[in-house]
Formats: sequence, C-alpha cells, structure tokens
Amino acid sequence: MYALEVKDLTKRFNSLVAVDHASFEVPEGSIFGLIGRNGAGKTTTIRMMMNIYLPDEGDVVLRGVKIGQEFKNQVGYLPEERGLYKKMKVLETLLYFAELKGKSGKEVQKNAEKYLKRFDLFDRRLSKVEDLSKGNQQKMQFISTILHDPEFIILDEPFSGLDPVNTNLLKDIILEMKQRGKIIIFSTHLMDFAEKMCDHIVMIDHGKIILKGSLAGIKSKYGQRNVSLTHAGDISFLKDNPIVEKIEDFGNSTGIKVKEANQTQQLLKLLVDRGVPIKKFDANEISLHEIFIELAGREDGNGKEVRNV
Amino acid sequence: MFNARVLAIVKRELREKLISKSFILMTILFPLLLFGMAGIQALIFTDKSNDKVDIVSDTETLTNSFQNELMKSDLMKDGKTSFAFFTMDRSALKSFLDGKKKDLLGNKLTGVVYIPSSALKDKKIEYYSQTPSNISLSRKLEGPLNKVLIDIYFGNKSLTPEELDFARKGIDVTGFKVSKEENIKEEGYGSLILSYVFTFLLYISLLLTGQLMLQSVIEEKSSKIVEVILSSVSPRELMTGKIIGSALTALIQMSIWLAAIITVTSSAIYALPPEVMVSITTTQVVFLMVNFAVGLVLFLSLFGMMGAIFDNPQDAQSGMWPVMILIIAPFLIAMSMMQNPNSPIANAFALVPFTSVMVMPVKMTLVEVPVWQLFACVVLNIAAIFLVFPIAGKIYRVGILRTGKKPKWSEVVKWLKYKY
Repeated sequence: MYALEVKDLTKRFNSLVAVDHASFEVPEGSIFGLIGRNGAGKTTTIRMMMNIYLPDEGDVVLRGVKIGQEFKNQVGYLPEERGLYKKMKVLETLLYFAELKGKSGKEVQKNAEKYLKRFDLFDRRLSKVEDLSKGNQQKMQFISTILHDPEFIILDEPFSGLDPVNTNLLKDIILEMKQRGKIIIFSTHLMDFAEKMCDHIVMIDHGKIILKGSLAGIKSKYGQRNVSLTHAGDISFLKDNPIVEKIEDFGNSTGIKVKEANQTQQLLKLLVDRGVPIKKFDANEISLHEIFIELAGREDGNGKEVRNV
Repeated sequence: MFNARVLAIVKRELREKLISKSFILMTILFPLLLFGMAGIQALIFTDKSNDKVDIVSDTETLTNSFQNELMKSDLMKDGKTSFAFFTMDRSALKSFLDGKKKDLLGNKLTGVVYIPSSALKDKKIEYYSQTPSNISLSRKLEGPLNKVLIDIYFGNKSLTPEELDFARKGIDVTGFKVSKEENIKEEGYGSLILSYVFTFLLYISLLLTGQLMLQSVIEEKSSKIVEVILSSVSPRELMTGKIIGSALTALIQMSIWLAAIITVTSSAIYALPPEVMVSITTTQVVFLMVNFAVGLVLFLSLFGMMGAIFDNPQDAQSGMWPVMILIIAPFLIAMSMMQNPNSPIANAFALVPFTSVMVMPVKMTLVEVPVWQLFACVVLNIAAIFLVFPIAGKIYRVGILRTGKKPKWSEVVKWLKYKY
C-alpha cells in the first residue's frame, strides 16, 4: 500500500517543461528521497504535491483520494527558502503556524514549549524573530514544521545552509519521526544524505523521473558490475584491460565497472597478481553518487561534469 | 471561503496592524489635530484673555449710560472683560492716553474707547490699543455701545420700544439648506467643512491601508514566508484573510475618527459659532462606513495583487500608478464637487465603482442624494468586487511565488491564462 501516489505530474512554465509526466509512489512508513540536480524539477514537484502549484496534468493521490486541504493539514512542510515574520515573537509564530493547520489550544502551546525547551529556545520564546540568530531561526522553522504532529513531513533541500549542529538536529528529528511511523519526504542534491537516510528514492533529471525504487534494490541492481576499491599504488594498467568498462576516481575510493557481472572476482585476482596493496575491495557496492553521475552526469551525452553535486 | 484558517490570518493581521506604530500614531494624531484645530478656533472666537478696557466719554450722562449698559451685558457676565469709566474732554484725553501708554504696551490694559458726544450724530468712536485690528473685542463692544447711542438718540423722540428694538438690530443673514425633507434646515459652512473632512479621511485611509497591504504582501513574498503559509492555506484564503484583516483595521480607524468628529461637533466644550457648526446625520455615517467597507475590499484586492506582482517596495511604488490614479482621481473629483455638487461629472463618478467610494459620501454632505443612488452605489461596488477579485486573486496566486526580475504588464496578463 502506498501512502502517496504521484501520477503523471506535469508542469509547464511558458515553454519550459519543469516537470514532465513524473510518476512515483511513496510507501508507508518510509523516508523517501527526491534527488536530482539543482533545477531538475524537485521543488516544482514538491510544490505540486503540496497543492501550492496546480499541475497542468496528473494527480497526487493520498491513500486513494486526490489531495486537497485534508492533506495540507496533515503535512509539515519546510520549504527550501525559509522565511518567518520578523516582527512576530517566537512562541506567537509557532502557535500561528499550528493554528493555520487547524491546531490550537493548550495542548499545542504545551508542545511548543516542550520543543522550545528541547532546542534551547525556551528563554527566547518572547523575543522577536528578528532578534534570533540564523541558526536559532532554523530551529524555529523545524519546530513549526512538526509542531502540529503531521502525518507527512516534506522537506525541500532541508540540509542546505544548516550548520553541523542543526544538521544533526534535523537528522535526529527525521529519524525520530520515522520511528513514530511518520512518512518523510525530502529532496536533496546531496547524495550523501540521501544514501544514509532514505529507504526509497526517485531520481529526477530535466523534469523526468530517471530512476525510482528502494535504495537497497537500486544499489544491488547497479552494484552488480561495480566495485568500490580503496588501494595504494598505481592501477592505471587496468585502463586497457578488456574486462574493465570504466574507471572513475572519487578521491578516497575508485569506482570500477566491469563488463560482466561475474567478472568482479577476476578483477580482484588481477589486482592481487599485480601486487597492488588493497585496503578495501567492495564488490556489489556502488554509491548513490556514482549512480547519479552515471545516470544524470552527462549533459548531451558527452560526459560533461555535473556541477553542484 | 471563510473558515478557521482565514480567521487565523485575520487575527494575525489585526494583531500586527492594530499595535503597529503607524496605526496608533495616525489614529490618535488625527483626532488630536481635529480637537486642536477646533480648540484653537474656539479660542480665537471666544477671546483668550481677561480684557481690561477703559471707556471714556466727554459727558457724565454718556459715561453713566455706557456704564449701565456694559455692566449688564454678556461681556461682564462671563467675567473676562472688565471696564473702567472716565469722563473727560478731548484735550484731557491726550494726557490721559500718555499716562496709560505704559499699561497699554505692557498688556495690562487692552484698550481705551473714546466716545465723544458727536457720536450721537455720526456714530464715530475711537479705539486706542496696541492691537486695534483685533476685531473680536471691538465687535463685542459694538452692540452695547450702539444700543446706548440709539437709546439716547431716539429717547427724545416718541418711539415705541418695538420701533427702538428694530432700530437696534443689525442685519443677520442665515443660510438655509433646501432638501426634499419637510423641514428646511438652517445651514452654514458646516456641510462644506464636513465634505472636506470626509474627503480627506477617505483619501488618507485608503492610501494608508493600501500601502500597508502592499508592504505586507511584499514582505511575505520577499521573506519567502508565503511558501510556508501556502503549505497550510490556499492563496485565495490567504488573500481573503489579509483583505479582511486590513479592511477591519481601516474600519476601526475610521470609526475612531468619526467618533472624534461627532464628539467635537456635538459637544459643548467647543463653542463653535453657528455658521461653522457641522451636523452629521446617522445616514451619512452609516452609508460612509458601509460603502467604505465595500470599497476597502475592492481597493485592497488591487493592492494585494500589486504586492504579489512586485518583489520589492521600489518596483511596487513605480508600478503602482494605475491603482494610485483610482484613489487620486476621486479625491480631485470630490474636491471640485464642492464648487458645484450637481455637475454631471460628479454625479457620474458618485456611482462609478472605485471613485464612488470617496465621491458619494462627499456628495451626500453637500446635496440631497436619493436613496436609490446610495443603494446603487454600494451594489455597483459589490459587483465590481465580483469582477475584480477573481482576476486579482489569480494574479496574486501566480505572482506570490514568483521572484526575479520585474514582470512586464504583458506577462502579468499572461498569468491570467495559467493554470495555478
């Protein structure tokens, strides 16, 4: 059973097709990653899922029902470009956002104070937002996203612009929400985070879905012919070897793709025979980063570098 | 359309606006200004200080008559003016004045009035003062002095007291406002003053409220907060909430202003002279408020739309002119209407949506407006809302999430075709 189904979603801005017939499914109880480069169509997709943009074509379906206000009430949304009313007070702001979600009263106030204490903001609850540091404003924004205890949490590029402390804080929130059975959807261009946190992903490029499925499934599918190697010494001799299709240097590790799935053992033998000191040889392992580069890294097929990845 | 979310937005708008410095300042400042102006005017008319006047004539009889008359006049009763009486001829007057010069210049003595016996023939009297042009005092003296002269002059002739009374009276012109109502009402400059006041109040309030709405939408847009809000409410709900919040703020402000005016005009604190007495009818107030409420929704839709089109206040100010014309034009029409309330142009614009928000209430103060026209005015403005709001809402919806360079008007028109 899927919690959320995105069906054939399309959005055009004048001549630009921002999202092109995108379809994917978000399973219950998962952390779902929407990954792609900047400008790939992630934010537009999310805005359509949030009913902020109306799609030109397609639907977003929540457990069998087309989304509407009901869904909005169940979502906590953290947009990529975050904003708060500068002149409003901290607690006042949080309560206002909860009220817009239909939650008001003592219970919410109590929860808000609880979160403020947990995030070390309780002393500032009567300060104006503009008097808070940027880091504290980000914390406020997290609280406002989850204060009304939403079923779904949608985060658009949640880690951009966060300091390490807040990055960890947000990670904790996400994992905690997952444990409580919430569905978390986030978009990112940072493959690292997606790889560490997501259960399921879709990859979007130029408005089109180019890959979707569970992270484990995708990795095993793409990993069969891939080896992640950490080594010392020179391995340039592999370049001309017939079993090797491609070598890519990622700095700390090297990604090697063989031509057939059963050739990974042959590759290991080759390296051992040549006396290359091997620190780590990980067959059947491929990073999301590598998959991403392989699928989306080539502009017009001539191997141009991907920026901002 | 109206639900708990809209209510939450309305409440926030009210909280934010009602405690804002500009609102409090404008709300208080205006009545203060009004009270102040009325007060100053009242002071000027009622004469400020204790006046001390010496009345000099050249015969005992005259002096005594003046003393009798002035002592029982209104001037004495309010205790602000005191008199001293002297009898001397013109030759003695000169040295008398020299002696009093110090007092006159030191403001201890307001003036010296010299009434020679010749006044019984030519009614010419003399007034010596540091400020002889202060007509308010001499005007007040005029009545009693004239009465004495008339009494003495006609006292020797056989006239009835009625004939004497007639002779004493000056000419008093009173204006009457002719209307369909049965009673013809006495009328001074009051209605003209009221029309000025209405024009300025509506003009200032529309400008102020509109600007605040514009700023508020631009702030939400440029601070990106709008996306967070739109994850909870629809753009239409947001716009509706903001319009209602702003409109209520303006209506509260207008109520305070009108209450202040009514207090000033109806209270006895300020003894305004009858010719500038302002009378406000309930109909005028009710119509003004109802029509203003409708007009606010109409104008605020446009201001909200403008805020959504532009990214920053600078661009907005330069792009605002079409809406500004809709406020400035009726202001000018209302002003010119004071010259000729029945001009066909004024009549037309008193019904045209947007301009009628200002022109019709002003027209009401100047001439009798048939009731059907009042209803037509409100109905037309409501009809305009149904026409303008969907368009403004659409542009708002598209514009509010747009950033980047200032859009051209042709692009804005294209937004109307977008499916958002």
